[in-house]
Amino acid sequence: MLSAPDDCCYGVDDHTTGSTAQTIKGGMRTPPPLAPLGPPPIPADNPQSPAKIEWGRYLFFDPRLGGDASTGCSTCHEPDQGWSWAEDISRGYPGTVHWRSNQTIINAAYYSKLFWAGSSTSLEAQARAASKGGVAGNGETDIMEARLALIPRYVALSREAFGTEWPLLRDAYRAIAAFERTLVQRDTPLDRYLLGDETALSEEQIRGKQLFEGKAGCIQCHNGPLASDENYYNIGVPGVKRWESDGLAQITFRFELYAKGVPEELYRTLKDDPGAYFRSRNRWDMGKFRTPSLRYTLYTAPYMHSGQFDTLEEVVDFYNAGGVAADGRTTSFPETKSPLIRPLGLTGQEREDLVAFIEAFSGEEILIEKPELPPYAPLFTRAQLQAAQEAK
Amino acid sequence: MPNLTGGREQMGPQAMCRRTLLAVVMGAGLTFGAQAALVPELGPLPPIQYDKAKAELGKRLFFDKRLSGDAGIACATCHDPKQGWTQNQPLSDGYPGNGHFRNAPTLINVAYKKVWNHDGRIGTSLDDMVREMITEDYIMNMDMRIMQERLKQDPLYLEMFRDAGYGEPSNGGVRQAIPEFLKSLTSRNAPFDTGKMSTAARKGLQLFKGKAGCIQCHNGPLASDGKAHNTGVPENFGIFLNPENHQAFIAFALFQGIENYMNLKRDPGYYNVTLDQADMGKFITPSLRELKYTAPYMHNGMLATLEEVVAFYNAGGGKESRKSPLLKPLGLSEDEQRNLVAFLLALSGDPLTTAEHIWQQPFPAEYSAIENWKDVRN
Ligand code: HEC
Ligand code: HEC
Ligand code: HEC
Ligand code: HEC
Repeated sequence: MLSAPDDCCYGVDDHTTGSTAQTIKGGMRTPPPLAPLGPPPIPADNPQSPAKIEWGRYLFFDPRLGGDASTGCSTCHEPDQGWSWAEDISRGYPGTVHWRSNQTIINAAYYSKLFWAGSSTSLEAQARAASKGGVAGNGETDIMEARLALIPRYVALSREAFGTEWPLLRDAYRAIAAFERTLVQRDTPLDRYLLGDETALSEEQIRGKQLFEGKAGCIQCHNGPLASDENYYNIGVPGVKRWESDGLAQITFRFELYAKGVPEELYRTLKDDPGAYFRSRNRWDMGKFRTPSLRYTLYTAPYMHSGQFDTLEEVVDFYNAGGVAADGRTTSFPETKSPLIRPLGLTGQEREDLVAFIEAFSGEEILIEKPELPPYAPLFTRAQLQAAQEAK
Repeated sequence: MPNLTGGREQMGPQAMCRRTLLAVVMGAGLTFGAQAALVPELGPLPPIQYDKAKAELGKRLFFDKRLSGDAGIACATCHDPKQGWTQNQPLSDGYPGNGHFRNAPTLINVAYKKVWNHDGRIGTSLDDMVREMITEDYIMNMDMRIMQERLKQDPLYLEMFRDAGYGEPSNGGVRQAIPEFLKSLTSRNAPFDTGKMSTAARKGLQLFKGKAGCIQCHNGPLASDGKAHNTGVPENFGIFLNPENHQAFIAFALFQGIENYMNLKRDPGYYNVTLDQADMGKFITPSLRELKYTAPYMHNGMLATLEEVVAFYNAGGGKESRKSPLLKPLGLSEDEQRNLVAFLLALSGDPLTTAEHIWQQPFPAEYSAIENWKDVRN
């Protein structure tokens, strides 16, 4: 399945399970260039349809798709907060806090693996994990499916979209995924520039682009239309500072280790998120996370899996310092840190240019009107119940 | 592989087939009739031993809302000491966002039972019963792995689990400590036990054992044969007319694998355990102790008062084709009915509403952080 760490050409970074990185020839990576974003891939087994998207839009905003009917997708993926959550770590299910920074839904449709550590392989599976996870939706299949059946609008929409008599939770996830596949942004200044509109980027941004592709080396990982190679790296991001002082966050930290089934000794001793290790169980994947897209990042602060940087300036300073935060904090897994991350020696002007260029990955903010949620209605009339009672 | 955010199914508690838990204990219900003379005597409850430190821990857990998924409700929310360790409303509350479809049973004397829930679907142990309460989505909806980590974050629990001999807080410890606490909830000083019954109650006892025939099912120290019977209690339409209650009912029926659950307009009761149509609408005979505090009555709270219950039996029970042949119109006079009610009340003792049974210290508003977190073991 995996090659040993030292028999590959490109150092530790290419060993992550499920890595989608291209084979690298002759030790030199020629990364795919930045490119305009095309339409998102649509899986053959879940084609888009108006009824499906419509149902998915409702469901995305509907907290009844969660344990206590308070916490739906949009509760944490707030359109006003970049379809994400603007705190270091995401809010959680009531009574909990999450343990990672939230991720935006915008353009999630393009990833082949979802979540910071790539643990989910489709938007459909991801929606299931989100609605059921104890610190996310904390819903159980039976109660959520029962609720859907008591919302007449959903019965009608699911019948139209999937042809079943009653809504199935599995189909609800497919509908959400279909809706998410409409949440894409393909007309950023960068897209327009790459399609030939030379006025779409400012001079500062054009200089930033050159740095991105050259001296700063960002293109090595942030490449292609998505500005992500979908590979996994430890770039030196420090863990969540709040873990040291927040009891609720400490609970979730241990829960995640326990739930993901790490060996006892690691459960007792880990003090940071081992990321891709959870999937591969290879020690060289400790602290590695998926290269995120840089699209829409103008709206999705704070940054990184642990949400430790509040601004793009801080991110660039972090890279410039070779993967070390301004306060000196860095990854707890230095042995797996990518050799691609090293001090860059960027001047103040260069750092500004780079930040300006990252901003070109974002177009207008995407805000939609939240749908008014359809109400529950009883399934039976009193007369029907009376008749059943008489027939006993 | 565990899923990313930790679904509950890895633990398997809910997936575990409840139906198999019971078959063992339920057996074939011995019918009354010829064996009338053989029914166990009503009588005092045997004393019950329990470990004080474990019960004290169980008591704190019982009142702690942090044992539910969103930390919104505790066991005591639905089994409220001030309401006879039940809720004085026909249908129990559910986990926030849900209703329920049955009346919450009192927990007084629950440790004497051999099968639990109105349909008797748990017949193994209170340990399993507690797990069901904590994990069931319309009850406490708790991922027990989160619960365990919450408990480890509370210094007092660290101490109490250690003192109780459980070591570090764990799910297993919770499932043992709460039953230990439940053992402390037993009837005290009921006039029937102390021998201080009124004349009316004494007359009622004679009717109970004789003309009214209650003893056929309500026998032994709990006044329950622990078996399932169909008494024809009418359905509570509120379950089906209120979507929040109905959703819990549908989820239950779906999970239990009852066919045609979307169209079901009645509580299947013991049928759920045997999947035998003959058992449709049967419920486990409840104990008649502590009724003074536990109105309304029956599995769905359809009878508001003991007078109504007695009138119900006097009419021969409800209207139902599968009703137990043991129920016939009784022809009790008004006086006799009053005496029967007086006897039922004589089976109730002192309320269990003091610090002995209620955890009274406040729970911390937030979880304190573990100091030197980076340097100590998790
Ligand atoms: C309690 C907050 C919360 C809720 C509720 C929630 N999410 Fe998330 N979501 C997160 C967090 C935090 C992450 C990143 C988690 C990680 O990587 O471990 C995430 C990640 C995602 C991603 C991955 C994006 C990427 O770039 O890989 C998608 C897609 C997503 N959520 C969709 C949903 C959907 C659909 C729902 C509703 C069914 C939902 N979320 C409910 C907090 C939440
Ligand atoms: C070795 C591969 C690699 C290189 C080179 C690289 N990045 Fe990243 N980038 C990542 C990974 C992996 C993450 C997520 C890391 C984490 O959360 O721990 C990331 C995260 C980011 C983020 C945060 C995105 C978000 O949604 O939180 C920004 C912004 C970013 N990088 C910009 C840059 C810039 C600018 C450069 C060049 C100076 C650069 N990156 C170079 C791999 C790389
Ligand atoms: C949301 C309300 C609710 C909460 C919270 C709740 N219960 Fe219950 N409990 C019920 C209902 C309703 C039943 C009856 C269920 C049935 O018959 O299907 C029940 C049944 C029981 C029984 C079986 C009683 C019998 O006589 O058969 C026990 C024991 C019990 N609960 C203990 C607990 C404990 C311990 C907790 C806390 C861990 C708890 N319950 C939390 C509502 C609740
Ligand atoms: C055929 C067996 C049987 C006989 C005979 C019988 N009962 Fe019951 N009793 C039950 C069952 C079963 C239930 C529970 C029914 C339900 O929940 O729907 C019950 C419930 C009750 C309740 C409600 C208890 C509670 O906590 O909700 C009372 C009170 C009661 N019976 C009293 C009596 C009296 C008084 C008599 C005699 C007049 C009597 N029963 C005769 C089987 C019987």
